[in-house]
Amino acid sequence: MSELEADPEVVRGNVGVAASADLFARLHGSGSEREDAIQDLHALMLRASRHQLGRLMASGYRDDARREEIAYSAADEATMLVLDRLDTFEGRSRFTTWAYKFAILQTATESRRLAWREGQVSIEVHDVTEAVAGTPERDLEERHFVRVVFDAMNTELTAHQREVMVAVAVDGVPTDVVAERLGTTRNAIYKVMHDARRRLRRAVVDREGAEMMELIEAGRAT
Amino acid sequence: MSSPPRLSLTAAHELTLDTDPYLSCDDCFDQVDQVCENLLAGQTMPRAFVVHLRACPACLEEAESLVALLADEDGRDVAATVQHFEDLTLGTT
Repeated sequence: MSELEADPEVVRGNVGVAASADLFARLHGSGSEREDAIQDLHALMLRASRHQLGRLMASGYRDDARREEIAYSAADEATMLVLDRLDTFEGRSRFTTWAYKFAILQTATESRRLAWREGQVSIEVHDVTEAVAGTPERDLEERHFVRVVFDAMNTELTAHQREVMVAVAVDGVPTDVVAERLGTTRNAIYKVMHDARRRLRRAVVDREGAEMMELIEAGRAT
Repeated sequence: MSSPPRLSLTAAHELTLDTDPYLSCDDCFDQVDQVCENLLAGQTMPRAFVVHLRACPACLEEAESLVALLADEDGRDVAATVQHFEDLTLGTT
């Protein structure tokens, strides 16, 4: 039994501050001490990965034999990432909290990738063809707002910006899935969207005045 | 064959979200462990972090998952903690 498993806090599921610091210290050790620490780290990564998959299950993610495969694969990857970046840990949180985020990221990314790959989602370039009031809202200003945004998408955005915005904001494709298809990173996709959103907001204000954007912001907040 | 997507009001809202102050996904990932622990300690989240989570469903999903995991480990009411997190990010508070 490893030290973490023997810790009563861990049995409760709570990796305390002391145990977290101890794990960090043992990962800097050598020989069998470090090997045991790596096993403990992997166990924590597996817990976080299963936790993430459990949340997906609660939202309808199907239960099949691949869940454990994904969990172990993500835990393996996360363990390697944590070990590679061990010296970048600055102690701004518990070490275990810092490590958990790698397992959650790996699991979430892989789950989304598999889900959308199986869904045969296309993110080819395609323009939005028509602005319609296909929403419950019938308010005239809102319908006009949708029309203005639609026009601005076709006149103010680059082809790349439009492709990304349609895939993410219209079709609902996750950013990391879009990034993989386009051979880039989630970070880069978010920056493209940030710049495109600025352009669209500016276009709405230029064409309709700040009042429309304020009206829409007010409606968005309710 | 599915018809081409049409722009809805919800999508138009998404397309025109105000994402200033800018925070990248990498910066969000860099901060998420500290921000989530601070949240459980009763502190608020930085504005740029909240703005990013509102505009990035992937980062939001992962941050919420980390909050839930930490709440569970601390023996807290996970649903209530997650609801508080959602109120701060997606709500108007």
